Amino acid sequence: MFDVRAVVLAGLATILLAYSAQRLDLGRLFGDVGAFILASAGLQERSDIGDGLSGLSAGMFPIVIDERTPVEFVGDLDARLASPLARLETVAIEETELDANTLEMVERVGAKTYLVEPAGYLFFVLLKMLETFEIALWATLFAIAVSLPLSVLCARNYSPHVLIYGAGRTFVAFLRSVPELISALFLVLAFGFGPIPGIVALAIHSIGFLAKFFAEDIEAADPRPQEAIAVTGASRFAVLRLAVIPNVLASFTGLSLYILDRNVRMATVIGLVGAGGIGQELKGRFDMFQYDRVGTLLLVIFLTVLLLDGLSARIRRRLI
Amino acid sequence: MSCRELVKAYGEGSPALAGVSFQIDTPGFTVLLGSSGSGKTTLLRAIAGLVPLDSGEIQVDGLAMTGANLASVRRRLGMVHQEFALVERLTSLQNVLSGAAAQLSWPRLVCQAYPDDLRRRACQLLADVGLTEAQANRKARELSGGQRQRVGIARALIGQPRLFLADEPVANLDPETASGLLTLLREAVTSRGIGVLCSLHQTDLALRYADRIIGLKAGRIVFDGPPEAFTPAVASTLFARDGAPHALTVAAA
Repeated sequence: MFDVRAVVLAGLATILLAYSAQRLDLGRLFGDVGAFILASAGLQERSDIGDGLSGLSAGMFPIVIDERTPVEFVGDLDARLASPLARLETVAIEETELDANTLEMVERVGAKTYLVEPAGYLFFVLLKMLETFEIALWATLFAIAVSLPLSVLCARNYSPHVLIYGAGRTFVAFLRSVPELISALFLVLAFGFGPIPGIVALAIHSIGFLAKFFAEDIEAADPRPQEAIAVTGASRFAVLRLAVIPNVLASFTGLSLYILDRNVRMATVIGLVGAGGIGQELKGRFDMFQYDRVGTLLLVIFLTVLLLDGLSARIRRRLI
Repeated sequence: MSCRELVKAYGEGSPALAGVSFQIDTPGFTVLLGSSGSGKTTLLRAIAGLVPLDSGEIQVDGLAMTGANLASVRRRLGMVHQEFALVERLTSLQNVLSGAAAQLSWPRLVCQAYPDDLRRRACQLLADVGLTEAQANRKARELSGGQRQRVGIARALIGQPRLFLADEPVANLDPETASGLLTLLREAVTSRGIGVLCSLHQTDLALRYADRIIGLKAGRIVFDGPPEAFTPAVASTLFARDGAPHALTVAAA
């Protein structure tokens, strides 16, 4: 009734998975999740996951929209007050001070002036998000510019030589095998903090991806019009330009849009290692335990990715 | 155009071409007739340099088809295909112009910037094959089969070929469109004084349009002569399913 080989394989897989689960202490995962579910249902007083999550959400909400800066830290106060929404706010604060005469601690009511910009932090985060998008955009543009010629060398039917084809494919596979986060880590050392290492890291990985898929599109293009144009005595280049490029252009555009979409998401991540954009801000705020600002950042990232997803899906649908 | 002792085998089994020799000297409509698998397509593709031969020699205009000569031989050829082989995303006009790519410098190629006289000729050709200006500017994928094949003919003619190859040009078309297209093809080539080598599998069409019929069976020529000499007996031999090639060859008139 049962295929013996399938049963043996399934048994073997079970044993291996059980060993792996034990190595990784997966029992704790099920224990913690179980406790969390019980606690949520009110059957148990507390759970570790519940405590962690409620601590985090208490820190995150409400998220920070405005920016309050003590005036003494604002360099260009007049310029920033020129904005219609910005205003000054003075609050009374109680200070404890050592009275120099009596050598006693005295309570004194003082005043502290803040510059309040109602959407200041949100605006700053959006600017950071824009920077992240720009990083992704430039990385994608560089990657397309390099991938277009590279993909021709990596396409079996258009590569000038089988050795160039092999070398190209190997090179492209190598580029793809380096995770952006790792290359960004080293590129930050080379270029310093900021957007440039981010652009380079993303471009390297994107070239590895785009050149491979462009090349596969070229290989899979309809051979019949290629033959038809070759028969007129046209050069390989002419055939490529007239019978291949028009047919793969839509697919190239779709792939490039996907890479742009992916690069925006990856650009937020590589910001964590100092490669510019919103990720760098996120990492800084996270390390300072300012979870309310982390909340704002996460919300903006989430909304941007959502927007971009819908947008690129729509554009790709129109292309096909 | 001449072929001598062409042999081509795909892997094991009976060869697609088992020693084919013939010559086309005069302009005219030569039909390559045979059932599917008789080697018609292989023969046409070999003449176009798309299929490497095992042995044999092809000459076009006195030029031997070899690796070094390939491009200059091909410039003397025009070809239309069974599946039309147009670039679907380009317009009819762009498809026709692509047939003249061999005459373009690479900067012009990159920008698809064809010289004005080529454009004029392409428009004229499209009008000659019976397409309206609106159809000329429509994408190839939006045209019907018959219209696509007309674009294919115009594309093959723009390079001013000396020999026109047509590989089952009407196999994917309904009978009425097919005869209209063959009439057009015949007219287009005779008015330009070039020869056609056109493969077909329909005897009635061959008898109607051919000046000369070459019957191909299992990679061998079993008939070569004018349509008047193509008797029902020849037809039954040509299309017999027994597989053993008959030694029936009618001398060309």
